[in-house]
Amino acid sequence: MQSNIEFTFDGQKMLALPGQSVGAALLAANQRTLRTTRFNENERGVFCGIGICFDCLVVINGVGNQRACLIEVTAGMNVQTQVGSHA
Amino acid sequence: MHNVVIVGAGPAGLSAALAAAAAGAPVLLLDSNQRLGGQYWRNSSEPIESQKDQHFDLDTGMLLMNAVKARKEISVWNGAQIWSASHKDGVNTLRVLHQGGEKIINTANLVLCTGAYDRTLPFPGWDIPGVMTPGGVQSLIKGHGVLAGNKVVVAGSGPFLLPVAAGIIKAGGQVVELLEANKSKRWLLSPLTLLENITKLKEAFYYIKTISQGKVRARFGVAVIAAHKGVDGKLESVDVATIKRNFKVKKTRNVKCDVAAIGWGFTADTSLAGALGCKLKVARDKGVVAEADSNQQSSIPGIFVAGELTGIGGAELSMAEGVIAGISAAKFVGCKVEISRAHKKRRAKKQRFADALIRSYPVKSGWLTWLKNETTVCRCEEVSVGNLKYAIEELGATDSRTAKLFTRCGMGLCQGRVCGRSVVDLVAAELNISPTDTDRISAVNRPIISPIPLGVLAAGE
Repeated sequence: MQSNIEFTFDGQKMLALPGQSVGAALLAANQRTLRTTRFNENERGVFCGIGICFDCLVVINGVGNQRACLIEVTAGMNVQTQVGSHA
Repeated sequence: MHNVVIVGAGPAGLSAALAAAAAGAPVLLLDSNQRLGGQYWRNSSEPIESQKDQHFDLDTGMLLMNAVKARKEISVWNGAQIWSASHKDGVNTLRVLHQGGEKIINTANLVLCTGAYDRTLPFPGWDIPGVMTPGGVQSLIKGHGVLAGNKVVVAGSGPFLLPVAAGIIKAGGQVVELLEANKSKRWLLSPLTLLENITKLKEAFYYIKTISQGKVRARFGVAVIAAHKGVDGKLESVDVATIKRNFKVKKTRNVKCDVAAIGWGFTADTSLAGALGCKLKVARDKGVVAEADSNQQSSIPGIFVAGELTGIGGAELSMAEGVIAGISAAKFVGCKVEISRAHKKRRAKKQRFADALIRSYPVKSGWLTWLKNETTVCRCEEVSVGNLKYAIEELGATDSRTAKLFTRCGMGLCQGRVCGRSVVDLVAAELNISPTDTDRISAVNRPIISPIPLGVLAAGE
């Protein structure tokens, strides 16, 4: 068994396995909402899982519009729910 | 000798790389994933031998992946993202983000093996967190060892639902319903086609065995037509309908679940081929694919296309096409090599099976009756069915392209990858016309392959 990597989601401590995407690690922790939409403020999460749909957008280390399903968790990563377009 | 440049390291790309290298060509293989294998042989960072459970035939995949890694003539760029591509005077220019910077590749030859992604249909509630594509649920299991939920409804149409349901059960999840929208007798293919593709039959039985061990009974002529969220905003249940042959609803019941994996076959990823100017066409299933000649060459000399990009057909057809594309590209850069008749025979055999499958899993227009005015169609730009109807009825849009411009439908970050195909059908149905091939092909026009932060570009200059 590989050891866990620590990161935070909206300030909360989270764990991921090496190689896991941000989206996968958050789903494993039952965090399903990753962003709210610009106009209707609807909650969205991982949909296509392979980088096609851009629905799982999160803010990573201050940079918005990052696809949670594609980006691997690294130690100390600061992940936040994306509100709107994060402009 | 110039590199043979191959994009995509799934079944087609790996086969192309090995065929080109065997013919004596140096190869550069680009893939956006961190590991080889594509979607079909997607694997996690755990030792690969321990992942066979989640695959029907990972042995073949490991054979190809290990061979690619072992061959000195093949360089691999993993985690390489092509964001822009153009073709001018016989030269293809790819702008690639790799290892934190931008690299520019100029090459006269290219082998595109960009694969496919789940085809989805909009329905009320499909944007609630917990509604996912079957491919998404599977990629989480295969690539990350994560089950998206505990009680999963698997639905839609096509043979791919079987491995997804089987994978969930093997990973310890519960498949509460397995629903195929088409009727079971459509599964019967011509006996001859089945006999010559016996491995496909074995693969189906392999999944069915797991599914029956999980005490799941597949239902046919049944579809998920709506999803509902609970007070927490998360998926709580889906409406499951018995449907007619034309997909119109007969009767509905409600099923509790925390994940619904719903897909309707696949859509080829033509973004790169389209940006380079390769001729695209509408396939039998009305999806847009890249045109290929018998040597897997696209309409542009020197650009070869293989795998799902040329039509949805599965891993075995992709491998057969990949080998031919790899040989063709090697020949193009000057290698003395010929495509054998055996290669073409193998491809024809797999093609017959793929054609039979496509005929067995049609998506019928009755799905349009599941929609409500407030149903989201474009997830990115939050455009509803009502918005599209308004563009047609009040603003006078007479085709999907104009409706798109009025509403921004399909103009968000995914550039219509998710909704584009459905919008064409939806707008045509509203106008009471049939979509033309031009409508379908213009819906996949994407100037940017993948949006990237502007800062990355600034840093690269």
